[in-house]
Amino acid sequence: MTAHNFETSATNTWCPGCGNFPLLNAVKTVLKELSEGESPTRPENLVMVAGIGCHGKIADYLNINSFYSIHGRVLPVATGIKLANPDLEVIGFAGDGDAYGEGLEHLIFAAKRNVDITVIVHNNRVYSLTTGQFSPTSPPGFPGRSTPAGSPEVPLNPLELLLASGATFLARGFSSQPEQMKEIIREAINHRGFALVDILQVCVTFYNLHKYYAERVYTVEDHDPGDYFQALQKIREWDYGASSGGEEQEKIPLGILYKKEAPTFGQRLSAGGGGSKSATPADREALIEKILANNI
Amino acid sequence: MKDQVELVSGNRAVARGALDAGCRMYFGYPITPQTEIAEYMSMVLPEMNGVFLQAESELAAINMVYGAAGAGRRVMTTSSSPGISLMMEGLSYLSTAELPCVIVNVMRGGPGLGNISPAQGDYFQAVKGGGHGDYRTPVLAPWSVQESYDLTRTAFDLADRWRNPVFILLDGLLGTMMEPLRAREPIPERAAPSWATTGMFAREPGDRAPRSIYTLHMPEGALTEVNRRLQAKYQEITREEVRYDEHFTEDAEVVVVAYGSVARSALQAVRIARQQGRKAGLFRPVTLWPFPEEALGSLSEKVEKILVAEMSSGQMLEDVRLAAAPSCKIDFLGAMGGELIYPGTILARLLEE
Repeated sequence: MTAHNFETSATNTWCPGCGNFPLLNAVKTVLKELSEGESPTRPENLVMVAGIGCHGKIADYLNINSFYSIHGRVLPVATGIKLANPDLEVIGFAGDGDAYGEGLEHLIFAAKRNVDITVIVHNNRVYSLTTGQFSPTSPPGFPGRSTPAGSPEVPLNPLELLLASGATFLARGFSSQPEQMKEIIREAINHRGFALVDILQVCVTFYNLHKYYAERVYTVEDHDPGDYFQALQKIREWDYGASSGGEEQEKIPLGILYKKEAPTFGQRLSAGGGGSKSATPADREALIEKILANNI
Repeated sequence: MKDQVELVSGNRAVARGALDAGCRMYFGYPITPQTEIAEYMSMVLPEMNGVFLQAESELAAINMVYGAAGAGRRVMTTSSSPGISLMMEGLSYLSTAELPCVIVNVMRGGPGLGNISPAQGDYFQAVKGGGHGDYRTPVLAPWSVQESYDLTRTAFDLADRWRNPVFILLDGLLGTMMEPLRAREPIPERAAPSWATTGMFAREPGDRAPRSIYTLHMPEGALTEVNRRLQAKYQEITREEVRYDEHFTEDAEVVVVAYGSVARSALQAVRIARQQGRKAGLFRPVTLWPFPEEALGSLSEKVEKILVAEMSSGQMLEDVRLAAAPSCKIDFLGAMGGELIYPGTILARLLEE
């Protein structure tokens, strides 16, 4: 058996220097390792779901089963795939406009259900494919092309929202720190339950925050990701510029910020779980018979 | 059990039809007057190792259908008019990605929130599109509880045969009324088709490449090709899947064209009209798309008048006009706002000279 080739022949059209390149490489490296390691996540069982935005082109650049879905709908599509075939390892890629704007309701509910999928958000904090409008995580005053006087809105802290929504794995990475991205993405995929990775992905063309991030990021240490309140504190340490407006003393924590073991949606649905009312297979047969005979 | 006749509602008949067709996945969101379908599925699917999920919205439900259909499962969602509007986004994508699924609309009064009474105002939405782009979906319109069951089973087969979403249009009356139902032998769920986003992979020589489901076609001419292929498929469906039903049309002078629950009123009116010496008949389209154009066209050459009766301001009426011979007079009887069309009303129009 030959090792699977994760490369495709598609011409990459991301801008030179785009933070999506290191992110794609990190994903490829992790998938390669997982497919060759001791307990392989077999390449044939990988399905990626992409949304719409610059990030969505990743579906062309990664040679695995792919579902190029709808803007905002990565989560319900991924949920449908995972429930249809629990053997599949489903990885969703979404942008900030996609996951935190158009499809925010789905993100909250996927977290609340603890569906066993991984979501990687390419959070460049700007709508880049449509050439530079403000996004749900742009800071106040952001001078986008639809906000000539500066954005009148404050950004959403997606990690805080998702912690409150019941997500069982939350992490933040930075596209200029590939080693850490790999580690986070590997852990996220290995996590049983809903995992969200918010990648601060630099858009070199419409919102280049490379220097801004480089001066502020640090990796969390002595942090217990199993402790909800520690996680909340770390997550609230940086509010995506909502209050500070980008002051210099800001610090941006990176790493796995929250992690908790909990039954997945699939586990709760499966036979004998909360989904079935019957104690034994015979009970199940009898109940089905009764329902179908319209006696219930 | 299978040889028994049971007294059930149209909603239950749809749910039962889906189960007997091997459907084990259901995604939906509660809305009157069809919530009973979801409730039934929630009782039985967990016992059958199936998946019932009450989604956060109809948008979520149709996209879960999109994912599950892509992964190769028989899958259904159901809703009523306002909820179906929310699903139009997904329907456009499902149609273009050519994924099979069944969508049931138990129609209520509209537009807007409207009311929860029976109506047929979503004909255009189901038959002409509703989502964006040049796509079509077969639309089946049962008129009884038994046919709601039968056509739901048929819908899954059509969806698979044509790799296309299939619509079933009921109205609130059919969904909630009870009639005898004779269920047929259930079949197990079919295996995942070869195109599903699963398994089989280019690891060994001769294996297939990974599967991709996408609806974006940017290279020059690519989208034109996709559309040509889709249109060719739609033409084939038009040739092969037309279904309709006729009563007393052989010698009819006047023919009522009606579908769904209105056709029941129409048949009653036709029978009474005949007793009173008026040679009336009923032509009932069972597939609203493809519309039985040819059959109705030929019939229209032999009759003096067609009376279109539907619970809308005249939506199917447009298709009847397109199908009918120019010599044939076309009359219309509509009802809006969730009002029913009773046999007496139709009868009065049939007896008019």
